[in-house]
Amino acid sequence: MHDGRFDPGGFYEFNLSGGTIRTRTRERVIVLSEAVLSSLVAAAARDGDLTPLRRLGELLGNHVLSGLDRPASVLSPDAVLGHVSAVTALFGWGRLTFERWGAALVIALRDKPELDEDDLGAAALLGGMFSEISQRQVSCVPTGDSKFVMVDFEVAETVWGWFKDGADLPAIVGMLQPKRAS
Amino acid sequence: MSDREDRLKSLLDKVRAKRPGERATQAADVLQRIRTASGAVPAVETAPATPPPAAIESPISSDFPTQLPAAPLSEPDTSPAIDSPTRYSSQPPRVERPLSVEPRARSASPASGAPSGPISSAPPRPSSGAPRAPSSSPVRRPDSIRTQSVAPTGQPIVYATDEPEFPRPKTFGDLLELTLSLRPR
Repeated sequence: MHDGRFDPGGFYEFNLSGGTIRTRTRERVIVLSEAVLSSLVAAAARDGDLTPLRRLGELLGNHVLSGLDRPASVLSPDAVLGHVSAVTALFGWGRLTFERWGAALVIALRDKPELDEDDLGAAALLGGMFSEISQRQVSCVPTGDSKFVMVDFEVAETVWGWFKDGADLPAIVGMLQPKRAS
Repeated sequence: MSDREDRLKSLLDKVRAKRPGERATQAADVLQRIRTASGAVPAVETAPATPPPAAIESPISSDFPTQLPAAPLSEPDTSPAIDSPTRYSSQPPRVERPLSVEPRARSASPASGAPSGPISSAPPRPSSGAPRAPSSSPVRRPDSIRTQSVAPTGQPIVYATDEPEFPRPKTFGDLLELTLSLRPR
């Protein structure tokens, strides 16, 4: 029976003679300084292509799923979100917490690497991770103060436009409403 | 000659009458030193006329004090011997009571009127079970300021900054459905 807790023991395997680091899912990873990653992400953001970071998020989501004994959709929110926070921390992406603003799920990512001014790199990472976990196209739109509102892929551009026009998180949540079942 | 010298001289005579040996010599020494110190005798006369005491074969034990007191020995203390340890006061130390449990406020008669502290600042006291009567004492200190407000029913008011509670999803799938169903108004 899954107890809902994440076990970080043996997550990384260091092979000093081979010069490799692998996760417990046998995936090879490398240690990268924040400064180097920041310049790479900034360049990607300027080019408008954050696919590599979204891909990295999907890999993190895959680690989350590998730690669950059942599909995420049937587990409690606390169990899934606890694993998400643990995997995010293990990869050094900061302290991830969740808030509910009405019907909206908001992700707060504190102490994250400073990658780009608009937090688009972190948004791409989170979007890829939750897309992998939920098996749906999910977007996490920056709303300032290291917070991201999770919305459907189709409305992400609209919400991002609200934020760029000066709307804060309460205003953005107030402009959203659940779609009524037809 | 001063009074002190007179006293010493008479004492010296007494001692000399009893013990003509060492004590007389030492008393003479003391008397000579006093005179020298007071300037009554030239310094050349301060040398003792007799050999030093150590050179005299004395019948007195070496444990015996060799110095003559400058004043008559005082009478032995007549107070009774100590037969018990010192007893300290058994009274407990006086401690300033916290204002919140000030007993004077409870014992005071209900007064006319207006509560002395903030109207809704005092939380209910489970120990007493009764509301505290306001004190009429002019020296009563004001109640301490409490950060928690209390409703008229006695229940503390908690100010929440959270949004109104929505139905809590039971599964992560429900949570995702809810947030992904959001659309612009």
